[in-house]
Amino acid sequence: MRSIEAAQVPDAPVADPASESLRLFEAHGAGVFRFCRATLGNRSDAEDIVQDTFLKLLQHLRSGGDRSNLRGWLFAVAANACRDRAKWRMRWLPWRADLDRRPVESPGESPDLGPLRAAFAALAPRDRLLLSLRAQGLSYREMAAAARVAEPSVGRLLARAVDRWKKKHIASR
Amino acid sequence: MHCLTDSAVQAVVDTEADDATQAHVAGCPRCRARVEERRRDMAALAVVMTAEGDVSPALEARMRQAIATGQAVRGATTLRDAPAGSWRRAGWLSAAATAAALALIVFLVLPKLGAPTSLSASEILGRSLETLSSTTGVETLDYELFIAGAMPGPHRIEHVIDHDRPGRFRFSDYRPDGTVEAAISQDPATGRRLHLIRVDDKAYVVDLKVGKGAPLSLPEMGQALVETAISMMQATSDQNLTTLDTPEGRQYVVEMPRVTPASGVAMLDLYHARALIDERDFRIREFEASGTLLKQPYSVSFRLLRRSVRPSAEVAPEEFRLPANPGDIVLSGETAQDPLSDVLAVALREIGRLRGR
Repeated sequence: MRSIEAAQVPDAPVADPASESLRLFEAHGAGVFRFCRATLGNRSDAEDIVQDTFLKLLQHLRSGGDRSNLRGWLFAVAANACRDRAKWRMRWLPWRADLDRRPVESPGESPDLGPLRAAFAALAPRDRLLLSLRAQGLSYREMAAAARVAEPSVGRLLARAVDRWKKKHIASR
Repeated sequence: MHCLTDSAVQAVVDTEADDATQAHVAGCPRCRARVEERRRDMAALAVVMTAEGDVSPALEARMRQAIATGQAVRGATTLRDAPAGSWRRAGWLSAAATAAALALIVFLVLPKLGAPTSLSASEILGRSLETLSSTTGVETLDYELFIAGAMPGPHRIEHVIDHDRPGRFRFSDYRPDGTVEAAISQDPATGRRLHLIRVDDKAYVVDLKVGKGAPLSLPEMGQALVETAISMMQATSDQNLTTLDTPEGRQYVVEMPRVTPASGVAMLDLYHARALIDERDFRIREFEASGTLLKQPYSVSFRLLRRSVRPSAEVAPEEFRLPANPGDIVLSGETAQDPLSDVLAVALREIGRLRGR
């Protein structure tokens, strides 16, 4: 997780909302994108939500919104958007290869990651959400807010999600 | 202290554990091993997440523009709910040539407009321009098309285009009974272009040998018109993006409000355009547009029935041909410098030859 945590940028004093939004996009845009893509499994949806999230951030800053934890705010907004998007998409119906007509993505991906990613994609939405949030370096408090779960439950839910991911990966081998 | 629970092990790895828990790990080989194993799991997770990729340069550029202008989060481009609207069909007459040209716009606008975002109609149109040339292989599109003033009712159109081989295509216009009303096909591999025209229930097939000049490429012509039309829609500052909930699922509606026709010196004017986009796959299902082309008014609407894309190697050459049936009248000739007059020239030559008998 070191590389992800190193990417965190402390919230600096606001110059203007647009500059601040750009700075936060440079700092967290990739993390939000990876989180969305891992959660939804679709690049174009993830890009849509990244745009949505940072434009909402711009609006939030312009309206003088709370700036105490903008990274957590970003992921919470993105998580909500992912949840909404997934509801539109057949209300979290499990992925079925025979029904998936999307083009194959990431041709340059390392072949070793395929089973891990497949196991991840087969997880329940909440497990994917929690694992994705944690992988972006969010604290349990931030995760609780973004995933709408009680903060004391985060560690337990996360541990179970990791266990299920491992089991699915082992079962696929 | 007892050995740690799984969630406590997780908390240690996530640096969320208290001092007592961490002290236990330091002194307990079993829990330390579990922590190390969980660290490896989380490291693998980080690798999987990193493999999700990065923000593309295109998205970054769009984000910078959107943040700089703030356009996508204010004004009429913001998503808002709206009641279902009905198709509006202007009763303007349009010349056959104009209708044919507009049909090309229709053919290509539908699949090319691309997926909408949940943000901005302008963004949707910008994406459509990016994806104009992205399709490869052989694309087959089935539409229901209606051109006000030129058709008594909707026609079904089948459009087959080989994106890997410029100039290779087929358009077929079917009657309600399934017979071909008109069609045009071209295949540079055979060096032939065929036109099928049905007059008084008689099919005339004009078989042209394509000369050395540049082959007629309706798809490329259409694409240029599409790019113009989309750019014009995008340049409109107040496109509306709304949503509709239908039995088939949520639909997006991108609409360029009607504008008052100006005196009109432009080759192509767009007075109104509307696209209905399926949220599930972000394909445009319905489209209508009106305006003028070469000062002739047009009004078209259509509905997407099917779309498929296949590798070129899997498509039989026959799909780019128009076979003549028994009883059809076949006229042969060669293409000239002006491809649009080829059919007329062949027909006139044939008439002259018959009269000379």
